[in-house]
Amino acid sequence: MSTVLITVSPEASRQMRPPRALYPRGFNLGNALGRPFMRDLQRRVLLDALGLLAGPPRPGEIVEREYPEYLAEPAASGAAGRREPSG
Amino acid sequence: MAQISRRCVPFTPFEGELGAATVALVTAGGVHRKDQPPFNIADDLGDLTFRVIAGDVDAAELMVTHHHYDHADADRDINVQFPIERLRELAADKVIAAVASEHVGFMGYTMQLRKMYEETAPAIADHIDQHARPDAVVLTGG
Repeated sequence: MSTVLITVSPEASRQMRPPRALYPRGFNLGNALGRPFMRDLQRRVLLDALGLLAGPPRPGEIVEREYPEYLAEPAASGAAGRREPSG
Repeated sequence: MAQISRRCVPFTPFEGELGAATVALVTAGGVHRKDQPPFNIADDLGDLTFRVIAGDVDAAELMVTHHHYDHADADRDINVQFPIERLRELAADKVIAAVASEHVGFMGYTMQLRKMYEETAPAIADHIDQHARPDAVVLTGG
């Protein structure tokens, strides 16, 4: 099976050397696909991840992408921000 | 971790077209159905079990048990960690062929990294491979 990882902890993920990985730059822990109900953003992140499957092989490399709409939207109170090691 | 990082990258080429692919989700974000046993967050070593989630699950029936990241956003919209509804939309739009019949949630936090790597991860891969037969798997962390 081919796999692609969406990670918000690129430093930790890099050590695991995933075959394909996308890091949506600046996304917080708990927001792998973006923020709640931002369907277009979630879809684009998912499509970008799936796009890495068909792209040129870059095993172990974590591809970074910018999603300005995520950074433009303030986090809901109490959500996101903590960055503990996780899976 | 250092020992694992020395291993080679398990790269499986993706053959064929995305439009012909069945896609499964595997998340370390502690996602499971509300009627499934929650992950054991009382165990400081972590929980090495996983939960199988059917492809036609109602997203409202999903929840998160994980105490090492703030899942308040996933509690409101599970798609931020487990994009099952977005995947269905891609299938409806024929961007992918199909949503896999089964997906998996587990709690990525563990102090038993070797067991996670050598037992849980292969068990998840075997289950998904044998039951859902996907062409591709999208993994998400916490």
